[in-house]
Amino acid sequence: MTSALGRVPLFEGVSEESMERLVAVTGEMEFEPGQFVVLQGQVGTGLYVIVGGSVRVVRGTEEIARLGPNDFFGELSVIDQMPRNASVQAIEPTRCLALASWDLLDLLESDAKLSLNLIRGLAARVRGQGELHHH
Amino acid sequence: MALSPQELVDTLAGLSLFADLSRPQLEQVAHKMTEESYPVGQRILRQGFTGTGFYVILDGEVAVRIDGDERARLQKGDFFGEMSILLGEPPVADVVTTRQLHVLHLGGPELEGFLRDHPPIMYRMLKTVAMRLRNASQLRS
Amino acid sequence: MPESSDRPFPPGDYPVVVVGSGPGGLQASYYLRHLGIDHAVISADSSAGGMFRRFPFFQRLLSWTKPYGPVPRDDRFYEWYDWNSLLAEEPASKAIMPGLMDGTSSFPSRPEMELNLATFAERTGLSVRYDCSWEQTRRDGERFVLQTSDGEYRGQVVIFAVGIAEPYKPDTPGFEHVAHYVDTRSPESYAGKRLFIVGKENSGFELATGLLQWAQRIVLCSPRPAKLSVNTHSLLGVRARYIQPVEDQILGGGVFMLNASINRIDRLGNGFRIMCSRSEGGAELAIDADEVIAATGFVCPLRDLADIGVSMFGRSQLPSMTNHWESATAPGVYFAGTIGQGVSGMKKYGLPANSGAVHGARYNARTLVYHVAQKHFNVELPKPMVEPSRLVDTLLEEATRAPELWNQKSYLARSFLLNPSTGILDEGVVPLADFVDTEGPAAVAIAVETDDTGDIHPAVYVREERRPAVETLLSSQAMHDFRTAEHRAQLSSLLSGVTAGAVK
Repeated sequence: MTSALGRVPLFEGVSEESMERLVAVTGEMEFEPGQFVVLQGQVGTGLYVIVGGSVRVVRGTEEIARLGPNDFFGELSVIDQMPRNASVQAIEPTRCLALASWDLLDLLESDAKLSLNLIRGLAARVRGQGELHHH
Repeated sequence: MALSPQELVDTLAGLSLFADLSRPQLEQVAHKMTEESYPVGQRILRQGFTGTGFYVILDGEVAVRIDGDERARLQKGDFFGEMSILLGEPPVADVVTTRQLHVLHLGGPELEGFLRDHPPIMYRMLKTVAMRLRNASQLRS
Repeated sequence: MPESSDRPFPPGDYPVVVVGSGPGGLQASYYLRHLGIDHAVISADSSAGGMFRRFPFFQRLLSWTKPYGPVPRDDRFYEWYDWNSLLAEEPASKAIMPGLMDGTSSFPSRPEMELNLATFAERTGLSVRYDCSWEQTRRDGERFVLQTSDGEYRGQVVIFAVGIAEPYKPDTPGFEHVAHYVDTRSPESYAGKRLFIVGKENSGFELATGLLQWAQRIVLCSPRPAKLSVNTHSLLGVRARYIQPVEDQILGGGVFMLNASINRIDRLGNGFRIMCSRSEGGAELAIDADEVIAATGFVCPLRDLADIGVSMFGRSQLPSMTNHWESATAPGVYFAGTIGQGVSGMKKYGLPANSGAVHGARYNARTLVYHVAQKHFNVELPKPMVEPSRLVDTLLEEATRAPELWNQKSYLARSFLLNPSTGILDEGVVPLADFVDTEGPAAVAIAVETDDTGDIHPAVYVREERRPAVETLLSSQAMHDFRTAEHRAQLSSLLSGVTAGAVK
């Protein structure tokens, strides 16, 4: 699992100590095609990193994105504790690493690089939305 | 409004970006950043231009404009410029002063080190960027 | 003997009143006279030189003048190798500084710099009314009225070049008893003393370095650690030549760097007891000293200008200004000299220009005067025409050889108007931030800029009619000569679109 985590851009450059803690608290989950990983409106409990397969991101009835290996999702609800703003559904058999909210928040407090990576990831998404009002 | 060093630290203590910092930590922030003043009608960040900088508003107001359309107004306590620095891309919007502006400025290359030195600031920034993402996605749904 | 025949500029009405006789006041006066604008120059000092009549105390200046630079002294680019001479149009008054230096250093001593400025005033025949102190200010209709020790001066425009040398001390109890940096005496008088210096910026370190061999013990105290320019890799922070005390501290040689806040200073016999709290941990300390010097900085002595609407900012209480160094809130009030550092300009990557130093401020003063002349006195400045086929070469020549652009990178630019009917007109030197943000006639400007890797390259800003300017960076060049085929090709293709093919 360390190697899988290490390949994910979100965890690039984090300390060895953080990596060990990550491995200890990360679980693996598998999803059948069509199965929902998270549902829009649900209370969020964690962040997911795709290690194999692919998913579609759906808001309302509109598919807004497709994600594949090394992409992550679900972090927004972890940070602001608001309900999920989209559903994520597996397209093919998909394997994810799952990191619970409290564990991620714990790690963010102690690992500056992880925080920086996460802000960058969020900023890129804001830019990608196009409807942005900040730069 | 020329703030004495103590008044500057008092002002920073009231800004949400710095809400989790102790007084000595606030003094560190004041020491690392530079106070600047810009007149009305001046661009602080320019769409498509090179050159990065991180700004926290102490007083006054700016408008954020993309291709001439106003998207937002920012006031005391708001910050801007970090997206371009974090993503290594030019600004996608102009930030123009709509009132005489008093800011704290940190050079772009110094932001990462600054955030590492002050994790509470980074966490506040993370929450703000997350909120922007949520607002941006709500506008589209 | 009647007083008025001895001293120039008696009280009265003048189109422009200049306050100050340091580099800013002298440079502004020179160009006002060059453009034929009647003005008075008043100064509270008794001779020319401004801050250089007293400071620095113990050291040479931090700005260079290379007597034997890469270009001859009468070459306009020599100004990039001479940061201390003021600007002049006639050769006899240019590059005065190198001729006054004794050859032992590329950095002038304080007396050499003072003489440089006095010689400039004398050789150019500038007049100053010395020992005339500006005290109060008010408005009277369209005029500003300055109340001075000699009477009232009325001006349509006032240029304050009063420096940033008014001592600042915090109002922490006890500071009223201690000397400020400006009160520093001759070094021998500190022999054998235990010295406590408040402040770890350039002025504090300058004193510590200068008094190192005299003082028995030196404590440098401020809440934050010293920011050293060798660590910031820039000119920001304490400069390299002042850090001997840091080495002494590391070696345990009688210098102590204390990161602490001062709570109180009490008199103790003939000396002082300083009560402070350490920044780390908060432990309280009592330190005794024979002498305390507050190297706690300076503010801008703007007296009652707030009462006529001049707004200020920052710990130095600088005025808020436009890109032409005019008060943002009180039109007609301008600032020359080091005060110009309050105009940030583009400040890409946080890199400031040299407006706080003579080599930047002198160009700002000239540009300010040209602006005042056009805006307030309808002086028409010549705008020579440029052949379209020559525009590209002219721009690259300026990027390579214009000292204004090199001394004030990303702050001043050379501008050319691109009017299809009147042709290409040379607009001279303009503030870059004003050019890119002001909607105006079609024009192109070129500046020299540094990026965050230290790479120096030209930057071209093309402004179409009523549209904000668009930026294009050109490549750097190992010898900083941008007159290459590659640059010509880049610039030609950039401009051919804007000038409808007029530029080849």
